[in-house]
Amino acid sequence: MALLDVKELSVEYRGIPLVSEVSFRIQRGEWFSLVGESGSGKSVTSSAIGGLLPGGLRVAGGEIRLQEQDMRSVSACQLRKMRGKNLSYVFQDYQNAFTPFIRIGKQLDEMVQRHESLQRDERRRLILESLTEVGLDAERVYSSYPFQLSGGQLQRTAIAQAIVLRPSLLIADEPTTALDAVTSASVLKLLNDIKQKMQCAILFITHDLRCVRRYADTVAIMNTGRIVESGYKTEILGNPRHPYTRELFAAVPPLRNVPRRLAVKSFCEYLEAEGG
Amino acid sequence: MNRLKRKLLETVAFLFLLTVISFFLIKLAPGDPVRNILGAEDLVVTQAQIDELRKEMGLDQPLYLQYAHWFGKLTQLDLGKSITTHRDVVTEIVRVVPATLTLALSSLLVMSVIAFPLGILSALYRGSLVDKFANVFSLFGTSIPGFWLGLILIDLFAVRLGWLPTMGIGKISHLVLPSLTLGISMAPPYIRLLRASLIESMQKDYIRAARARGIGPVHIFFFHILRDSLLPVLTLFGVSLGSLLGGTVITEVLFGYPGLGSLAVTALLKKDYAVVQGFLLFMGIIAFAVNSLMDQFYRLANPAISIKEVEQR
Amino acid sequence: MAFFLLILLLLLLGEKLAPYPPNDVDMSLRLQPLSAQHLLGTDHLGRDILSRILAGAHTTVGVSLSALFACLAVGVPLGLIAGYAGGRLDWSIMRLVDASMMFPDYIVAIVLSGILGAGTFNLIIAIVAVKWFGYARLVRSIVMAEKSKEYIASARLSGRSAAAILYHHLIPHVASSVSALAVVDIGKIILMIASLSYIGLGIQPPNAEWGSMLNEGRSFFISAPYLMIVPGAAILMVVLLVNVFGAAFADRFDTSTQKEG
Repeated sequence: MALLDVKELSVEYRGIPLVSEVSFRIQRGEWFSLVGESGSGKSVTSSAIGGLLPGGLRVAGGEIRLQEQDMRSVSACQLRKMRGKNLSYVFQDYQNAFTPFIRIGKQLDEMVQRHESLQRDERRRLILESLTEVGLDAERVYSSYPFQLSGGQLQRTAIAQAIVLRPSLLIADEPTTALDAVTSASVLKLLNDIKQKMQCAILFITHDLRCVRRYADTVAIMNTGRIVESGYKTEILGNPRHPYTRELFAAVPPLRNVPRRLAVKSFCEYLEAEGG
Repeated sequence: MNRLKRKLLETVAFLFLLTVISFFLIKLAPGDPVRNILGAEDLVVTQAQIDELRKEMGLDQPLYLQYAHWFGKLTQLDLGKSITTHRDVVTEIVRVVPATLTLALSSLLVMSVIAFPLGILSALYRGSLVDKFANVFSLFGTSIPGFWLGLILIDLFAVRLGWLPTMGIGKISHLVLPSLTLGISMAPPYIRLLRASLIESMQKDYIRAARARGIGPVHIFFFHILRDSLLPVLTLFGVSLGSLLGGTVITEVLFGYPGLGSLAVTALLKKDYAVVQGFLLFMGIIAFAVNSLMDQFYRLANPAISIKEVEQR
Repeated sequence: MAFFLLILLLLLLGEKLAPYPPNDVDMSLRLQPLSAQHLLGTDHLGRDILSRILAGAHTTVGVSLSALFACLAVGVPLGLIAGYAGGRLDWSIMRLVDASMMFPDYIVAIVLSGILGAGTFNLIIAIVAVKWFGYARLVRSIVMAEKSKEYIASARLSGRSAAAILYHHLIPHVASSVSALAVVDIGKIILMIASLSYIGLGIQPPNAEWGSMLNEGRSFFISAPYLMIVPGAAILMVVLLVNVFGAAFADRFDTSTQKEG
């Protein structure tokens, strides 16, 4: 049975369809990449899964099942209990991943407290563990305010937040887009490590095909609110059938031709060096 | 130069300027102050009497010497005597300050009781009836003359219904109408600001992030939204202090409430300038103190400012 | 909207529409209730209230507008000078601003008009003393922001005089922001003048002014409530009109700047 099963999901804003009859499945421990241009409806789809649609947007039809649970029929309260514990989010805007005037430790603590009945020091241990797991100086980050951390550190902290309660699905909505090439490569690698280690599925949303090549297991291409093509990464990348997919691929410079003389070691090169 | 030193220097400069303005503003009064005083006592005066009093009061000396003399006495908390009551000005002021302070605080309370629920509800339920009501209320609140609102309240609740006393001081019931008057006229800017800043905070990405963590809406509202939105409200509080203090003057006169404002207006109408000087000094100091306090609050509430300052050092 | 236009018309025509001379005392007609002869009744001296309201419109609105323009005449040039010249001149002007801001505005207005004595001219001085610096600060900040932009530098490099640069480039920018502030301020000024007149420090009787009409009629409110209701409602209507107009103006101003940005 699939971990997440989305069937013919439609989302609209005042009668205007933003997402139309989108269907996909994510298995346990799978890295699923949802690729599309900005405005294609991929972020809306991911928000709909956790019931995080912004005001005015509503699910017009379809079905969302996470671990057999029908996400459209559960109460708002139950949905909140699932968010952070069963599925968690990492967003693009790392600057605003945490409330600026509350210490990181406090924010993670209120999250853990919300979902688990643990003693104060147990919660703290859990959080520090998670922060260490993403390669941060846990004690320092715990007592820091968000503005005292760098972009990469913040995004790592956001990932630590996402995995602290061991969710079975991690939704990463363009987590590397706002980061520089080197940092985003390391964030991708971190996500992959987490996936391996915790057997947690990842719904990875991106507009950048280059982010797909290395780690994704399955890929879906989205355009104007519809999924135009989906399948295993090798199939899609090796043999794109839909004209839109081909168009999208044409827009990306082929990896092998990235000029070596670029002064900054680019993201693509990093991937090349890592993956061979 | 560290912050404390700079603050201290600022305070000294401010106090100096305050005394200069308080002293020289009075000198703008047309006519001869000596004649005013004697005239106020309704006496038939001769030129000799005038000259004598002028010498006695030091008014024949150049202005800067008069100022120095005045300032010297001020350092001993001596502002002279009121020409109407012949009592010590400082004592007079200290006597009425509690009444005005009570009025100001109870008006603030009324303002908060009106502005916070309206501001918060209109932000949470945008476009709803509450929101529309808050909008109309704000519009009328800013447009209505405060003293007229007071008159209507007196007419309605004190004269026609007889529920509350019209004038006087001493009981809580005496405070109700004045603080209602002042509180209502002060509320609109707070309602608007609270609404706007709450809406802005609610749309921040970190609020979505907190929701994605499963944090409940009530917790998010109180810990992640409200605090941020209170900062501009604090700033406004410092700014609107003028309307509060000025408002107490008008309201006190209106309700015959024996506070600082009534004292000052009576003194102005009777050209009792020593009292006016004391009033100015007191108001200036209060304004300065409240603004400094707001600054401190702001610093405490916003860790980014103070931590960056420490790091820069 | 039609209602507001009607008020505007009444304000403009004012005294000409007044059925009686506003200052005519007739003790035989004192405290008359509302009637066909006296639509809004008469006051304690037998003066026709409607006529006094209409005459008062000219006083209140006229004095408020004069005070506003006086604020502009003081604040805008000082702000331009401070922002453009910088240095010592700027420093001195800004200290003047600090000094003006030291006391709460109502306090200064009350004390100043009290010290100078009641009267229209002194009232205007008192208003200017508490309102001028808003314009000076606003204009200064605009000038400083604009000054650092490239087109001013290039105009300067092309050898044009300071006055010409100011005139052609800055004035339009300044004009829109200043009028936005002025629209907000005019309502506050009307209220301030009415308040000062009410406590007896502004415009003096027998001149018809809404605030002082309320002051004069204070002792008769119980027997003749229209003495209280009418002038206050007049103030409320005018200020409401100004504020509604101001809000619409601010909205338009906002969207126009957004389009520019």
